[in-house]
Amino acid sequence: MEQLLLVGAAFLYLAATLAAWTGIAVRVDAPPRLVSRFVWIGAGAHLVSIVLRSAVLGDIAVATFADALSFLAFLLVAVFLVVERRRSLAALGAVVSPLALGLTVAAILRYAREAVRPLPPVLDSAWFPVHVTLAFLGDAIFALAFSASLLYLFQERRLKARRRAGLLLHLPSLETLDRLNHACVVWGLVLLTLGIATGIVWAHEAWGRAYWASDPKLVFSLITWAIYVVLLQGRMVAGWRGRRAATLTIAGFAVILVSLVGVNVLAIGLHGKAF
Amino acid sequence: MDRGVVLIGLNHRTAPVEVRECVAFPNGRLEPALVRLVELPGVAEGAILSTCNRVEVVACGSDPDAVAGRLPGFLAREHGLGDGAIAPHLYTHRGREAVRHLFRVAASLDSMVVGEPQILGQLKEQYALAAAAGAAGRVLHRCFHRAFSVAKRVRTETGIAAKAVSVGSAAAELARQIFDRFEDKTALLIGAGTMGELTARQLLAQGVGTLLVVNRTFERAIDLARDLGGMPVPFERLARSLPLADLVIGAASSDGFLLGAPAVVEAMRERRRRPMFLIDLAVPRAFEPQVNGLDGVYLYDVDDLEAVIADNRGARAAEAAKAEAIIEAEVDAFWRWFESLDVVPTIVALRERAEDIRQRELARHLGALGGLDARQREAVERLTSAIVNKLLHGPVSALKRHQADAGEAFYVEAARRLFRLGGDPDDGEEG
Repeated sequence: MEQLLLVGAAFLYLAATLAAWTGIAVRVDAPPRLVSRFVWIGAGAHLVSIVLRSAVLGDIAVATFADALSFLAFLLVAVFLVVERRRSLAALGAVVSPLALGLTVAAILRYAREAVRPLPPVLDSAWFPVHVTLAFLGDAIFALAFSASLLYLFQERRLKARRRAGLLLHLPSLETLDRLNHACVVWGLVLLTLGIATGIVWAHEAWGRAYWASDPKLVFSLITWAIYVVLLQGRMVAGWRGRRAATLTIAGFAVILVSLVGVNVLAIGLHGKAF
Repeated sequence: MDRGVVLIGLNHRTAPVEVRECVAFPNGRLEPALVRLVELPGVAEGAILSTCNRVEVVACGSDPDAVAGRLPGFLAREHGLGDGAIAPHLYTHRGREAVRHLFRVAASLDSMVVGEPQILGQLKEQYALAAAAGAAGRVLHRCFHRAFSVAKRVRTETGIAAKAVSVGSAAAELARQIFDRFEDKTALLIGAGTMGELTARQLLAQGVGTLLVVNRTFERAIDLARDLGGMPVPFERLARSLPLADLVIGAASSDGFLLGAPAVVEAMRERRRRPMFLIDLAVPRAFEPQVNGLDGVYLYDVDDLEAVIADNRGARAAEAAKAEAIIEAEVDAFWRWFESLDVVPTIVALRERAEDIRQRELARHLGALGGLDARQREAVERLTSAIVNKLLHGPVSALKRHQADAGEAFYVEAARRLFRLGGDPDDGEEG
């Protein structure tokens, strides 16, 4: 049942992707409205799938790689829906939807090769859901920042190319995308900081000192954190914005992806082995 | 077809503005002209459309050729011109063509700026004048009402009105791709030409918060700033005000570039690289083209803006095809109705219908009358024929009497409805 719901969500993300691309290519009112509608329904199915899975496990379902991918995809579309509701940014769905689709499909494929594993008793604490939710929410917000940045670079290139670009696409303004990038980086950084802090506290409670300090996930997270802090600092002090901010945001998200995939697929460190 | 609709006129494509302004009907001169129009021999109904881009006279009459022959002279006389002065600029549409033309005008397909919305309002006003003056009759009432609903369909069912088609609106559209909101933005207009002014107006219409106006002659800058609600800035202070500007309209030419790359680099540094949109309307160009390579600077010259417009026109072509299909269907519908208004076929149809009823009723009742001999049978035939003919005499002679005058369409339509002769595509739609 959970799997079926996930497949359904994947199809809806696919539909949202197509609708978003159509909405950018032609000026019609229908596709942008469809984007959020498809994503809403997809996210609903996705949520039910995660809840069912969590009920089976007796805890929030993020411990296996497949669960983690599915959870991240859900948070990404949830964050997108919140942003899209407040300001019309359906075009953002052109990047968010395929990203969510990719994560969800990866989760579906991965499920087939994974057994359900309960959390080791030493880690079974109230910190677990808090830490993973904060950390993944941070990742989801950075994924949104990444989507805005990608659109920014695309839109900027077209505007710079002038005559050669053809100007019939319908994208949010550079200013809109840059503002969104800024807001996402601020929020993502707050959540990432909290995620790292709760992780450290939790690890300290579970294992005592120092054992976890060289965990690759932690190292990657600190690199990500440093990149976004530099970006935020640059924006506030030196007026970095636009292309430079977008490029750095994309770099930061690349580190997140490497850490997510690398640590789990190669099963290294505490985040890779323990779960 | 021995009656018809004729439309003559000239528009922005066939006549330069010097000619159009000569034949335009200013306010107050339209009503008397309408009265004189329907007083022309052979003209049963008429209406006049006069805007800055077109002057058109549409008329109905029993002899389209005669009507078409009289209208150019009428238009010239109304303005005290010789026939020859406007003849080379005039086009003439008859019948379906005239109806199609009117529909296309209403739907803004014939406009200089295709899809612009003003034309429909003007058409409605001037039709109202023709109706009030009693110049528009049955046919034109319907024709104009259909034109209005065609325009509405085209507007709602196609994307014809959605895109920018002037330099100013193209600049505004591009500005919307760069900026999210405009209240906190400053525009700087350099030069006092018309193009620059129009573009500045478009940006102000977007909601641009502050407008600075720079001109070599400071007095001119003051005047223009007052007109536009902006602030005049002396030419010497151009470099100082540049960092303030999010949007810069260059509408003044000079030897060499008005703004070179170093000035823009310096301005960008001072404004902490907030994006800057430069619109170069001048020929030769006012801004050094290389500044487009600077991070956060977007430079568009007239040709770039023209390319945006051409793109929009391209997108419009597909929509225009849809619009033409709608118009074709509506012209067909109107024409079916219009053809049914002819007197002769109406009389024929009326007689056929009466004869048909008589025959059917005879067949039904002859049996009940029992065995009639030939003489009695002939008497019954004569009796029924006489009743039918006497009943039809009134309507038929009324139709004939009003043939080729203003009441024709009314009587024909009344007859068709009263005797259910068909031919009205919208049966029951209209009282």
